Amino acid sequence: MRGDERSDAILSDEELIERARAGDDAALSDLVERHHGAAYRVAFSMLQDDDAAQDVVQDTFIKAFRALGGFRGDSSFRTWVLTIAGNQARGALRKRGRRKETALEDAGPMRSEQKAPDEEAVDVQEAVRARKMLERLPEKQKLSVTLRIEEGLSFKEIGEVIGSSEGAARVNYFHGIRRLRELMQ
Amino acid sequence: MSNATCETVRGWIPEYASGRLAPLEATSVRSHLEDCSECRAELDLAMLILASRAEVPAGLARTVRAAVRSDRAHVHRPWWGISAAAVAVLAFGIGMSSDGLEQVESAVPGYAFEIEDGDAWLSDDGLIAGAPDLDALSDEALLQFLDELNVGGAGGGV
Repeated sequence: MRGDERSDAILSDEELIERARAGDDAALSDLVERHHGAAYRVAFSMLQDDDAAQDVVQDTFIKAFRALGGFRGDSSFRTWVLTIAGNQARGALRKRGRRKETALEDAGPMRSEQKAPDEEAVDVQEAVRARKMLERLPEKQKLSVTLRIEEGLSFKEIGEVIGSSEGAARVNYFHGIRRLRELMQ
Repeated sequence: MSNATCETVRGWIPEYASGRLAPLEATSVRSHLEDCSECRAELDLAMLILASRAEVPAGLARTVRAAVRSDRAHVHRPWWGISAAAVAVLAFGIGMSSDGLEQVESAVPGYAFEIEDGDAWLSDDGLIAGAPDLDALSDEALLQFLDELNVGGAGGGV
């Protein structure tokens, strides 16, 4: 238990934001704990560089919390954070000057937690190949696919993150999936 | 074959692959997959993507929390936390000009969220790689595009 007003109930993002605005550092920590993974995966997906992605996550939360007073809640906190992470990663890419060509062995570490049913049957080599093909998609298609499959975002939320309409996010996703299937054949 | 259409099942596949789909819908998807190789292929792809998801570095949350705390301590530094040197500079500034106070205050970072030039998408995104500029299309054109992708305009309801 941290703080005399905190309960055992899991607080919503909105409740945590209210507490954070009131100066509750534990609420900020909870928001970081809850969303840093998704922010990292978005940044890593775009940068293909662990150190750079971690820097982006740090900058993302610093910016988000500096601006928390002006957060109106038009979108979810998660969507907002991922939008900032995407913007930060794009800024880092521009500073880098060109996209880094990523060798297969440079791909990020394979995750080991949260296995879905039947996932043990997935061919590791095929998974690595799928990731390599995914990295070859245009940025918005790649992000639409990763945000939909890895983070479970809706097309409306994906549209907010990539700066497109819900319909465009949907097309980007299905177009990306179709191209991936073609590339995998 | 279940009553669920390919369009509906494809909309549910991300949730099904990650084990987040409600039991009733999951049963419907399983039933559909028994007879639909196209949707099975799409599920296989989703599983491969999930399996190759980047692992979040251990300790990243701790690092971020420390950075946030450090930033907030800097931004929220109380007036009595100003160093002696800063006080001396402040006093000197007040002595020199009435503008001195404003200069010291402006050195404190603001809270406004800054939109950086990184917001713009990279110039090589899309066209070179063969993707259409979807943002320039109308809703009708997007629906037509979805039809061409064989998923329909309302797939998945997400």
